[in-house]
Amino acid sequence: MPHLSVNPSSKPNCSTVWLISVLLGLLAVHTNANDVLTVPQQVSLSTNMDSQQLSISWVAGAATTFDLMILRTELNESVFYETVSVMVSQLSGRHEWNWTSVEPLQCTSLSIKVRSREGQSTSEWSNTEILQGSDLPSEEEWQMFPLDRVVPVGANTTFCCIVKEGEQFGTINYGNTVMNTTRLSRRSYATTVVNQGLSRTSGTNVICYNSFKELKIGAVLFVGYPPLLSDFVCETHDLTSAVCLWNERNTNLNTKTRGTRHTLNNRTFTLSWSRNPKKECRVDHWEGNWTLVAVNPLGQYSLTDSAELSHRVTPVAPENLTSVAHAMNATVLWQWKYDGYSSLALVCQVELTSQGYKTNHTFSGVDLRAVVLPDLYPYEDYSVQVRCGAQQNFWKWGSWSETMSFKSSSIVPEAPDMWVWMNKDYTGQIFWKPLTRRQSRGLMTGYEVTLWSPGESLQHTDILPPDTFAVLVNLTLMATASSDNMVMATVTAKNTEGVSLPASVLIHLRLTDPDPRAVSQAVYTDSGFSLFWQSEVNTTCAYVVEWHNASCKWNCPVDWIKVAPGNTNVSIESANFQPGVRYNFSLYSSSSEAPELLQRWQGYMQELVPSSPVLSLLTTQEDSDILLTWGHIPLVSRRGFLLGYNIYISSGSQLTLLANLSDPGSRSYTVKGLSEGSYKFTVKAYTSAGEDTGATASIMLEPFTDWLILEILASLGVTALFLVIVTFLCYKKRKWVKKAFYPDIPEPKLPGDWSRSQAPLDVKPPHHSLVHMVERPEWDSSKEALVVIPEEDEDEDGQGIGDELVDTDEQTSLRYYNQVVDERPIRPRYPDSSDSSASSLDSARTDVTYTGIHTSGSSFVFQLDPQGSSEGHQPQADPSFCAGGGGGYRPQMQSRVPSDDMGPASPNPFPEPQAASGYKPQSSWQMDSPVDDGEGRSRASSLGSPTSIASTLFLLPDGEDHTEEKRQPSSSAATWLTNLLSSTKP
Amino acid sequence: MAARRTRGMTGPDVSRSTVARAASIAEQLRYECSILLELFREKESFTADVLVDGRLVSVAPPSSQLDTRDKLWRLHSALMQCRSLLERAIAREEEELGGGKKGDYETQRKMVKDRLSYLLICTGELLKTAGGAALLTPSLEGLELDGPTALFELKLWVYRIFKEVDYWTKTAITTLDALPSVIAKERVRTSRVRTTRSTRR
Repeated sequence: MPHLSVNPSSKPNCSTVWLISVLLGLLAVHTNANDVLTVPQQVSLSTNMDSQQLSISWVAGAATTFDLMILRTELNESVFYETVSVMVSQLSGRHEWNWTSVEPLQCTSLSIKVRSREGQSTSEWSNTEILQGSDLPSEEEWQMFPLDRVVPVGANTTFCCIVKEGEQFGTINYGNTVMNTTRLSRRSYATTVVNQGLSRTSGTNVICYNSFKELKIGAVLFVGYPPLLSDFVCETHDLTSAVCLWNERNTNLNTKTRGTRHTLNNRTFTLSWSRNPKKECRVDHWEGNWTLVAVNPLGQYSLTDSAELSHRVTPVAPENLTSVAHAMNATVLWQWKYDGYSSLALVCQVELTSQGYKTNHTFSGVDLRAVVLPDLYPYEDYSVQVRCGAQQNFWKWGSWSETMSFKSSSIVPEAPDMWVWMNKDYTGQIFWKPLTRRQSRGLMTGYEVTLWSPGESLQHTDILPPDTFAVLVNLTLMATASSDNMVMATVTAKNTEGVSLPASVLIHLRLTDPDPRAVSQAVYTDSGFSLFWQSEVNTTCAYVVEWHNASCKWNCPVDWIKVAPGNTNVSIESANFQPGVRYNFSLYSSSSEAPELLQRWQGYMQELVPSSPVLSLLTTQEDSDILLTWGHIPLVSRRGFLLGYNIYISSGSQLTLLANLSDPGSRSYTVKGLSEGSYKFTVKAYTSAGEDTGATASIMLEPFTDWLILEILASLGVTALFLVIVTFLCYKKRKWVKKAFYPDIPEPKLPGDWSRSQAPLDVKPPHHSLVHMVERPEWDSSKEALVVIPEEDEDEDGQGIGDELVDTDEQTSLRYYNQVVDERPIRPRYPDSSDSSASSLDSARTDVTYTGIHTSGSSFVFQLDPQGSSEGHQPQADPSFCAGGGGGYRPQMQSRVPSDDMGPASPNPFPEPQAASGYKPQSSWQMDSPVDDGEGRSRASSLGSPTSIASTLFLLPDGEDHTEEKRQPSSSAATWLTNLLSSTKP
Repeated sequence: MAARRTRGMTGPDVSRSTVARAASIAEQLRYECSILLELFREKESFTADVLVDGRLVSVAPPSSQLDTRDKLWRLHSALMQCRSLLERAIAREEEELGGGKKGDYETQRKMVKDRLSYLLICTGELLKTAGGAALLTPSLEGLELDGPTALFELKLWVYRIFKEVDYWTKTAITTLDALPSVIAKERVRTSRVRTTRSTRR
């Protein structure tokens, strides 16, 4: 360290002294530093080309920190420049430092120099030492480094290619991959492969191409793993030697020069290559301790093991297996390869295989060479293999022996499982199930079926071939001969060894209907049809469940299963069950007596939609409704339990549900409320699986004619009722009606006797008629006046009428009508009764038609004043009708009326004033009618009397006996009304 | 010259069947050689245009002055060198580059070696027929059988050997086709007769 010397006493020259002291101090420091940081000397280099390691050593005294610089000589590029701490080696007295190059040291020349460092102070650089590369001009040829390198998986490797003098570098390929390269010198190029994966067996090529893409030089790289061992154990098979086993991973380095080398207890051995990781090595003597070492270029691995021989005994596989087979057991014998086993306690495992099933039997003992296998099936093929282990200090099982096969002996077969199906007569079938190979216990030769009646000692036997499992029987003869109605059916099986025990079923010969017990539904589950039943009290019998296709009725192929006593349920599964097929299940008791039917079921394995629609779908019109009827679906087509029917009406291509009938027994449905037209109906039955395709029927709905008739009748009835009501009301209100419609017409006051005039009425308009027409101020002058028809006209009219084939009587009467009447139809004049009355009053001019003059007044007359009319009024008593004095109109000479009411009102006959000048009833007119004279006379006499068109009443002459006879009908209704009113006249 | 001739060959009477069999084997060997080369290039990621210059087999240069026996002797000698080289190549390859599972390449390589041995038997019979069997003692002296030590150079050496086998197989086909066999003469004669008869018709 430099010193700073200061003299505080020299005050006059203080600053000068201080400056000198500083300069001296700095000089001293500089001089001292140059003394410590010595320049490294005797720099030397040594290399390890495989590890690409450069060892640099130098002499630098006590210095411990150095700057180290490594440059690529040609390009003067710095490869390494760091300050490192290097202690002096006590042995050599030199500083030594190792540097590992990324590139192979041969790739290019390197320049190395060193200097000492003390803090920020450094010495001068040492002389530069150059490590010569292979790219010197003296080495002209193509070169590549490194050659034949072995590296672990995942490593990075840098390759360099030195180009031949005068040629141009192209590319470096790693396998098929063109690599990126860097230039290290004029002729040297490098590339680095990173994270390398496993190479090929023969190594991965790194190839250098020139600029013409010509292969010039290459190297091979092997990428693999160091050895890795596990599970190293040694054991003995022969009780003398040792076999050592272990697992070893594949190193991917398999060549002789780079493959793994093994030593066991320092003895080298060679393993043949195998992909199996399990390796083994044999040693002639049991050493007790073993060390296994595995070495390859990437590393080594070792494992050890130690054990006593008796603890590592793995017996070899038994040899030369033989057997002595019987029906139910067999003896298996074998031999051992080594004599030493004779004193070895062994445990052996015998694997017995029959029909694909394996069973293991374990045996033990010293010198074990034979075992007996029990519980074999007769006439069965077996195969057997054996392996053993040490009974004491069990280590592991030895290898299985080779398989040995044998066949057990045969004996008589088992009794067959039989059942009987009887039809509804004395015919039926006897079934038995084929014996399995194990049940047959030998080569089957046939079956024997015997029918015998116990009471009558009748017997019939059939011998059947071994492939027969059913026989048809007819018990008619036995039924007629048997007194106890019982037949015993027996089946025995025969093989080469003999006859089996018999299997029997007692058959009842009573022909009875099927048991009426209710049939339950059986549900199918994954385990089959699950059937349950109640156990009979105190019964110990077994059961038989029989099933068959429900659509079969005769000689049905049935199947059955026997159920042990005490069971109350069973699941029936069969490969023969088909979806959509109904099966009948029957539970029988199975005892020494004949089987008794206990319960019945029906079920489907899987319900489907019906395969066919309902049969015979018909549509019928009933009144305005439509009745749909259909037949049943055959059982075989139902394919499920019918749940009901859906009724559809089709409109175009669309079906509309009309009704859902949940009763599967429904066979009809009535569609109501439809109007006329064409309809199409579809009936679909459905099960739990859905609907069938449906049956369709069409119908044209016609109008209901009966109803029309009924409507007409009802209308008529209503009309009649109305008329009755009207009639009744009229009857009740007859006075009012009379007053309103038939007012009393004032009797004309006629001078003279009308009744005596018998001649035809010659009406001539007199200047002063005796008939005084009632004048009304509202009279319409436009109306035609009363026209008197001359006889000539009458005659002419009469001829014409005769041509017209018209009732001459009526015509005759009409000739006296007013012209107006002829020209206009008769029409009622009501409801205005006053008008009617007025018409009557105006009849002399207009409305009143003189069809004849009654000699007596009509019983019905209209009064002028409806309000003033009354039954007791006398026409002449009404002063209003008498205007104009005694010359008033009096055509209605009051006739003889029996009525008391009318009696007082009846006027006395007027004296006829003049035949020519007065109005005279045509009493002399004769009607061509077959009626008696009196009546005809009366009717004739009524003709010509003035009457109202509306009322159509005639003025009746005297002498009429009955009021009805006085009337001349102008219409049926008027007649009826007239009669009615007449009958009501008091 | 890699062989030593001890006695001159006098006549070209070789049987047609032996020549035909040899030619057939050579054809088969040529086909199998091409497959082997393809497998090798595929295994080592070599392109088809990898150049391997220089011959490994040394025999007398071809000359139109050589008679049939000399041609057969030259061919037989070259094929023997090929087989020696091939055997050595297989051994070196197994030692330095082999091991592990045997694949198509190894199978094909063995097939070529066996086929080459059959061809050698045939050419030996032809030489024997030509009267030169006892005279021919092909020498492997001077043959570079060790090969290079560097593995990549070793691979190129193996490839060159395969190419050499392929070359001499083709040469064998050419040589055998060019052999003026008795049968061939007879065939030519028969052909001439048929041509004459046809002309007369």
